[in-house]
Amino acid sequence: MKIKNVIKRILTKTFMYLVLIFTIIISVFPIIWIVLSSFKTNSEILSGAFTLPSTLETGINAFKYLFEEYNFLLYASNSLIISTVSSLVALLFFAMAGYVLSKYNFPGKNLIFILFTITMLVPGHSKAQPIFALVRNIGMYDNIWGLTIVYVSNGLAMSIFILKGTFMSIPKELNEAAMLDGAGFFKTFFSINFPLAKSGLATAGILMFLWNWNEYFYASLLTVSEKTRTLPVALQFFNQSFSYDYTKMFAALTLVVLPGLILYVFAQEQVQQSVAASGIKG
Amino acid sequence: MKSKVFSYTKLERKNWKWIYLFLLPTICIFVLFYMQPIITMIYTSFAKWDGFNAPQFIGFKNYMRIFTNSAAAESVKNLLWWSLIAMTIHVAFGVLVAFVLYHKPRGWKFTRAVFMIPNVISGAAWALIYRFIFNDQIGVLNDIIRRINPDFHVQWFFESPYAFWAVSLTWLFYGVIFTLLVLNDLYAIPAELEEAAKLDGATGWQITKRIHLPLCRIAIGTCVICAVTSRIAMYEAIALTTGGGPGDDTMSLSLLLVNAINDYNYGFANSIGVIMFLLGVIVLFVINKLFRMNESYY
Repeated sequence: MKIKNVIKRILTKTFMYLVLIFTIIISVFPIIWIVLSSFKTNSEILSGAFTLPSTLETGINAFKYLFEEYNFLLYASNSLIISTVSSLVALLFFAMAGYVLSKYNFPGKNLIFILFTITMLVPGHSKAQPIFALVRNIGMYDNIWGLTIVYVSNGLAMSIFILKGTFMSIPKELNEAAMLDGAGFFKTFFSINFPLAKSGLATAGILMFLWNWNEYFYASLLTVSEKTRTLPVALQFFNQSFSYDYTKMFAALTLVVLPGLILYVFAQEQVQQSVAASGIKG
Repeated sequence: MKSKVFSYTKLERKNWKWIYLFLLPTICIFVLFYMQPIITMIYTSFAKWDGFNAPQFIGFKNYMRIFTNSAAAESVKNLLWWSLIAMTIHVAFGVLVAFVLYHKPRGWKFTRAVFMIPNVISGAAWALIYRFIFNDQIGVLNDIIRRINPDFHVQWFFESPYAFWAVSLTWLFYGVIFTLLVLNDLYAIPAELEEAAKLDGATGWQITKRIHLPLCRIAIGTCVICAVTSRIAMYEAIALTTGGGPGDDTMSLSLLLVNAINDYNYGFANSIGVIMFLLGVIVLFVINKLFRMNESYY
């Protein structure tokens, strides 16, 4: 009986560690592989997937090439501008809406909240044609601002949900005290509630930023020219032009993946919270 | 109605002007990017429309096409299979990792942290990385297989029937959202419950099966909904790997939708949009019922 228990314990432990190791390998290996491969020459890449690069030079040249011959900086700045502006604007708008929905009573409140949250049921891709037509009609097709406004709309339900909850957790008495002190509606929001909602704002903000930074579907649908290209869309063009120049392709992949990874390393807890929050839907 | 308005205090009414001003930007976004598109989508899904000429109403013909067109039929079939795989293996692996992490084995924090990585980088990049991992000449997979069988050559993404599974593998084990959701619920289970079970002589496995799993029911239900709805929306994992091929082996509704837009077949595109929307709603309600998600925990 006792030996049986010991064996059982060992088996369970082994199984647990196997699951951990498998999880780590499938998550980290692909990234390490592309980074290492970007430092290998084409013939090194062709000679085996597990060989190590012999020099750093090949990789440095490949990265240089991307910056010099391709407008890599342009794509990166497009991505950065679009995702930063859209997330900040969206955050402000949705914070304002979430705030009044959590703190005040007014006619139509329930209807508005329900309408905002049921947008979660609409798969983002399903309304592609009407969005495409809308962006065309307002003359924003193939324009980074056109993509920006589409991204502003993207996180509506999720952000309102997160932010409404955050503002609800701020005690109502603060608002009453502010009112007695003669603070107006606007001031009560910006100087009292907004700073206290930091954690919710960070969760929603990071979530929207990551989505927009990584978004491919609408970016490829709403832009065509090089001057409006974002990083995820640029990848597809790299894939076509470097079809047999693997070193450069892996270098491009590394560069596209890196910024998201860096953001994650520096804001791990926040990003984890954001991703967990994105699952609350339904 | 009138009496309802009077039920608000004077103080509350004083703020209305501000309140609606605060809601205005979001309401505009809602009307422009949700309400108007959805109405257009539903209305033109019954029409033949190229975007330049006025829509011509053709009844249910677009929808009939979804069920008679071979690529569309293949997309629906693929979606069903992918949903099935997502509901079972995909969710199960995420939940399994959550249960393992819950016992805090050595390295659990590191594992949780790195498991997030595939989720923070772009889906387009991830799809391309897998395109190279499964590449015949330079890929990792075939390199390993060739160590055993040197003459092995398969283009995983471009040969039937492998392409379907190659696409599936790009997301199959990456369920960190499920892990985080289930972990959240596991931490919320009162410790006394586990202690009481142990006093009654329950083994670790029994505790997992009889206490932890049933109490995570709602989280797992949410996972299943997430899993299936992301299959409906799946795009990059196909567009950047197989492009729907070989043949229509990995075709999906989202790919068809984009193709229809590029062909100026707007009515057909929107009928696909409506189908995606309806499928999402059906999945939500069925799984809600199945997992009895409206009922409380105990």
